[in-house]
Amino acid sequence: MTTPAVRLQHISKSFGKVKANQDISLDIHKGRILALLGENGAGKSTLMSILAGQLQPDSGTIAIDGENMELSSTDKAISTGIGMVYQHFQLVDAMTVMENVFLGKAGSFLLDKKAMEEEVISLSRQYGMQMSPAKYIADLSMGEKQQVEILKLLHRRSNILIFDEPTAVLTPEEAKALFATMRSMADQGKAIVFISHKLEEVMTIADDIAVLRRGAVVDSMPKKSVSSTAELAERMVGREVLLKVDRIPMEPRQMVLKVENLSHQHLQDASLIVRQGEILGIVGVAGNGQKPLVEVVCGLQQPQQGEVQLLGKDWQDFFASRKWKNGLSYIPEDRQGLATCRGLTLLDNFLLTTRDGFSSGPWLQRQDARQKAEKLLHEFDIRPPDLDAFAWQLSGGNLQKMVLSREFYRQPHLIVAEQPTQGLDIAAMEDIWKLLLKAREEAGILLVTGDLTEALAVCDRLAVMYGGRIVDTFARSNQEKVDQIGQMMAGIS
Amino acid sequence: MTFELIIPLLAATVQSGTPILYATLGEIITEKSGVLNLGVEGIMIVGALAGFIAAKFTGNPVLAFVLAGFAGCAAASIHGIVCLLFQGNQVVSGLALTILGTGFANYLGTSYVGQSAPGFSPYAIPYLVDIPGLGPILFNQDPLVYLTYFIPVLIWFYLFSTRHGLGVRAVGENPSAARAGGLSVSLYRWGAILGGGFFMGLGGAYLSLAYTHLWTNNMTAGRGWIAVALVIFAFWRPGRAVFGAYLFGGIMSLQLRLQAAGTQLPSSLLLMLPYLLTIIVLVFSSWKSGKSAAPAALGVNMKPTE
Repeated sequence: MTTPAVRLQHISKSFGKVKANQDISLDIHKGRILALLGENGAGKSTLMSILAGQLQPDSGTIAIDGENMELSSTDKAISTGIGMVYQHFQLVDAMTVMENVFLGKAGSFLLDKKAMEEEVISLSRQYGMQMSPAKYIADLSMGEKQQVEILKLLHRRSNILIFDEPTAVLTPEEAKALFATMRSMADQGKAIVFISHKLEEVMTIADDIAVLRRGAVVDSMPKKSVSSTAELAERMVGREVLLKVDRIPMEPRQMVLKVENLSHQHLQDASLIVRQGEILGIVGVAGNGQKPLVEVVCGLQQPQQGEVQLLGKDWQDFFASRKWKNGLSYIPEDRQGLATCRGLTLLDNFLLTTRDGFSSGPWLQRQDARQKAEKLLHEFDIRPPDLDAFAWQLSGGNLQKMVLSREFYRQPHLIVAEQPTQGLDIAAMEDIWKLLLKAREEAGILLVTGDLTEALAVCDRLAVMYGGRIVDTFARSNQEKVDQIGQMMAGIS
Repeated sequence: MTFELIIPLLAATVQSGTPILYATLGEIITEKSGVLNLGVEGIMIVGALAGFIAAKFTGNPVLAFVLAGFAGCAAASIHGIVCLLFQGNQVVSGLALTILGTGFANYLGTSYVGQSAPGFSPYAIPYLVDIPGLGPILFNQDPLVYLTYFIPVLIWFYLFSTRHGLGVRAVGENPSAARAGGLSVSLYRWGAILGGGFFMGLGGAYLSLAYTHLWTNNMTAGRGWIAVALVIFAFWRPGRAVFGAYLFGGIMSLQLRLQAAGTQLPSSLLLMLPYLLTIIVLVFSSWKSGKSAAPAALGVNMKPTE
């Protein structure tokens, strides 16, 4: 093969103890579409940020057209011909399409509107898009905005185009049009990188596929050699045993969560139960209905259709008379946004959900809370063990342990944990698994995870989600079903 | 009112609107880049004093006028240092700049109170002044007024038809998009702060070099604040700023004339008129414009590394 447009060699990048990228080597070729497949937190975005010049690798080399390069800034990356279409569009709403396209490009002092218009029209024609140059960005659909982003890169003569989850915001028709544009760009000699966790899309559009898991490229192959979507699914989520935690079987007791025929947004007809003493794992590729399920169960959204019972009460009753203790604990995926306030101290963050336990009348008994929280810090080994530290000063793992300690202090009978180990290093992950296993002595746990290794390590039962439905629910010990998880996640059953 | 009364009133309107117009244009440039500068009042008075002292010692009003602009830049650079270098709060920095500038000018200016300096005088433009109605209103003014017939057009052209102006607007609307496009947000903002400060300084100097040829303390008398409000009234557009400035100029000169004519209304009520109008204008412009015309990133700092 010819010299690759980009050759990444032995790229590593760590944030604190977390290894976001470990020893990644990857070739990106002209005229081909490379799909970078992996779950959230697998390190795709970090890798591409390195290529876009936003982050510097700790080690490793990047060669563009066979020449070693140091992409020290975004400007440098842009001038080397690397362009990135971000998930959040970098467009100025109050300006027109052509003004956005020409923004930041060196050139004459005066703006030649006529020439700008023509350039935008001819560029969009060349790659099979339709665009009115004088329209304001604010009036465009998401798909059109994305086209403007692409036009910006094409106008700058970018030869290596990176698309970060480009279909997340598009309608199916728009996605189709995007794929046509991507194909047309590849045919005209550009190198395309397509970041995604959607298997069907990858199978549709990619020429080459690289699978990332926990920061490393675990697989890299041309699409031709992939026999089925299911195979890809298994490669993506993995099932190797990283750690072994002791899971003592436990007799499930009374039911704490019952969801019956729940339909909500794109969640369809979901039914499940969780009993005290067990962990039910919801596995599946993100975006297949996990979010609406969790939001309804945790009271963030009212169920539209179907029945939800928590601790034996109706959804309405339960959330109308919420108690801080022995109730529901929610450990959200977004620990810095939903679970904690980054600008508050650990003590205040501790009081966020436990304040009712430390109140007498309108007064807050901070001394009392301080003693209790102090004990928790040591018990859970949270660092720094300082209640006056701010939440933003903690690493992801420690912050997550702080959230867990707080939620366990409430002695919940139902715990909903969403991707609790995402982005954590292995030691922290093991700690959290142990904590969850211990917590099920008192509680029923609904564990939403995109990591099959995690689900297999801690869950008693598994439910697989695909396309808004719960495809199947079975016991962890049912090896036959466990072997089929990959197929179920890919929608083949 | 008769014709003989209206013409001088309108001529006075243009004259009293001019310093506000200079300051408003300066603030438009600054705010277009996403920087809110509430220090207009302070920068204007520094400009007024600098212009006055320079004219007094050099005897050259043109030089004094330009120097006043640079004094405005110097004052505005404090805002740049606080907001761009140290990422400080723009509102607080601007307010502090107003207080600092006013105090500074009063302190240095006290010894000049009541003294006069050479300045600009009305110069009738031949032929144009003979146009009935418009002539005596627009073309029997001092040269600094004539300048303002061109400056708004130039600023408009700069902002909307040049590559650099496009960058200024992009930085004010979405700094991260501008950055992604390879523009330096802080350089553009520095440019806008200094350029805006220059015009604010000119606005102040108009007061001490053309409006009067005297120094009195507090001679800006709230005109800087009116300029801040006028930017909103003008929807950040230089053309509308001209109308706004003359509207306020009109109220100010009308108020003076009413006082001179000896109306029954207490003078303090009349003095309130421009500020009352400010509030009315703000209420109307925010009520009428459903979606805000303000630069989307106005008042938002951005770290150079982001």
